Amino acid sequence: MLTIEKLKEYGADTDDGLKRCLNNADFYIRMVQSIIPDTRIDDLAKAIAANDLDSAFDIAHALKGIYGNIAITPIYKPVCEITELLRNRTNTDYSALLEEISAQKQKLVSLSE
Amino acid sequence: MKENLINIKNIRRKVLIVDDEPINRRLLGFIVDRDFDVIYAENGMQALEIIKENEKTLSLILLDLLMPEMNGYELLKLLHTDPELRRIPVIVLTSEKSAEVESLQLGAADFIPKPYDMPEVILARVHRSIELAEDNIIINETEKDGLTGLYTKSFFYQYAKQHDHYSPNQKMDALVLNVNRFHIINELYGRAYGDMVLQKIGEKISNVLDEVGGIACRCESDTFFIYIPHRDDYAESFTENAELFAAELENPRINLRLGIYENADKSTDIEQRFDKAMLACNKLRGSHTLNTGNTFGAYKTSYTYYDTQLHEKELYSERLISEMDKALDEKQFKVFYQPKYNIKGEKPVLVSAEALIRWVHPELGTISPGAFIPLFEGNGLIHKLDRYVWRSAAEQIKIWKDKYGVSVPVSVNVSRIDIYDPNLENELLTIVAENSLQPSEYLLEITESAYTDNSHQIVETVKKLRADGFRVEMDDFGSGYSSLNMLSALPIDALKLDMQFIKNIAENNKDYRMVELMVDIAKFLSVPVIAEGVETEQQYMLLKQAGCDIIQGYYFSKPIPPEEFNLLIENEK
Repeated sequence: MLTIEKLKEYGADTDDGLKRCLNNADFYIRMVQSIIPDTRIDDLAKAIAANDLDSAFDIAHALKGIYGNIAITPIYKPVCEITELLRNRTNTDYSALLEEISAQKQKLVSLSE
Repeated sequence: MKENLINIKNIRRKVLIVDDEPINRRLLGFIVDRDFDVIYAENGMQALEIIKENEKTLSLILLDLLMPEMNGYELLKLLHTDPELRRIPVIVLTSEKSAEVESLQLGAADFIPKPYDMPEVILARVHRSIELAEDNIIINETEKDGLTGLYTKSFFYQYAKQHDHYSPNQKMDALVLNVNRFHIINELYGRAYGDMVLQKIGEKISNVLDEVGGIACRCESDTFFIYIPHRDDYAESFTENAELFAAELENPRINLRLGIYENADKSTDIEQRFDKAMLACNKLRGSHTLNTGNTFGAYKTSYTYYDTQLHEKELYSERLISEMDKALDEKQFKVFYQPKYNIKGEKPVLVSAEALIRWVHPELGTISPGAFIPLFEGNGLIHKLDRYVWRSAAEQIKIWKDKYGVSVPVSVNVSRIDIYDPNLENELLTIVAENSLQPSEYLLEITESAYTDNSHQIVETVKKLRADGFRVEMDDFGSGYSSLNMLSALPIDALKLDMQFIKNIAENNKDYRMVELMVDIAKFLSVPVIAEGVETEQQYMLLKQAGCDIIQGYYFSKPIPPEEFNLLIENEK
């Protein structure tokens, strides 16, 4: 069960997120909850593994928008980094960033359980 | 477009959010829903359908850029090129700086960055964009004339004022352009044709403005106002354009008239400046032969300049016309009398007088008849004034008769329009009867040119008046164009020579010969000759020598009030 406290502890900028939700905590939690089943972080890893950097950029860009809006900073930050690298189609090792993103997502999932 | 005029306060407006991310959509919807009805689309294609369905009522679109099916850029382009849909403002949602510029260039009204700003900021931006767009629609709807694409009058005045603020020292001309007898063109060829003519005029004006600068509006119906930098070449430029125009339309009935108030005085209101140009333009109304300005070819297109002095003269004339009735009531008009002397004998003998009117205005002072008689002749007011003089003269003859026991006949002017008055004879008879006078004591002066206007009518009228006993003098003889043939048939009792001949009689032998000739004609007609405007002894002697019978003029006396005239009568006794 997600709570504001848990999210704050996790590292989310809940003040920011809540403001965006007109300080409606339930709505904010619902928004965060709704990203839990999203599988696009896996899709991002797959696209990078397949060296499909165009698709990877599109996915990263979308994730950046969502995680930024709900202020899940632990995921938003590495997603921003990877988006910038992919924007230039940088040929580099993305695994560390992907692992970080994946781990943080896992953490978020566990918070909600 | 009119139905899009939705700038009515307190209406909850409809906003479309287009984003493929459900979380972003819902989050934004949650914010916007506070002040607006929100509808959602997941991609550009879906959005386009919704936009078309809600074309008239949709107030704003919040648009994500990267989406499947049809992305935000494509939708933005589509909307921007659609004449109807482009009025709906679009705010782009983006996390990319570069996208902001591109979307603004594509016609976006604003952008909202991702992650989203504070809700208050988002709402303020949405409100602002809607307000701007709606204001813009209203301006577009009311700023331009739908037919010609020129400004409407109120916007035109506003822009002209702005122009003056920015360029206070630039000399500007105010022009009013009009189509002669436009209603006839509409009636003859139909309204659609009339509209086409107006459109063409609008185009021409726009072309000229493109070249020389300035602004223009269609003020009403067929009247155009143009405010352009001063130029001296209207004779050429207007001629050229007007001729081209008429040739293009292949219709010689379409004649333009242009009133020009050049170097318009910027210390007066812009409205007043155009009033003056309008005055100039109205002078040309319906004119086919022009006294001012020029005419061009067969098209009778014409222009004229506003003339301050002329305008002041017109204002003065208008004032005189409007105050005549009051002046009659207040007895501001005074009847003066100028004596006429018979010079046939050794000593000049007072034989009669002419009644002459003076207007002693309480503010304007004494106004000479030359300033108001032609005005009143022009609009028919002379009818009233003549009768005032006739009555006064008859009363005066009676006063003198009662006082001195002598009859001093007085002549009065009978204007051209009086001749056509079927009541003329009755009125004159009544006036003399009311004062116990004989018609023979009452002289009528009728100007020669009246005879030539409609000789049959006048001959009949004069015949009747003479049969009643009135004596009729032909005034201004020599200024008209009487034929000798007509003269011989005329029923008159005296010829009164036109003053112009007397004026130069001493200096100009030709004028003296003319007088001799006219005296001969009078002798042939067996009527006496009266010379008026006689001022000097020399003129007097020459006229006597030429055979004139009666003399009137400053040589003997200027026109004087009745109480002074009394002395002349007393001197005769």
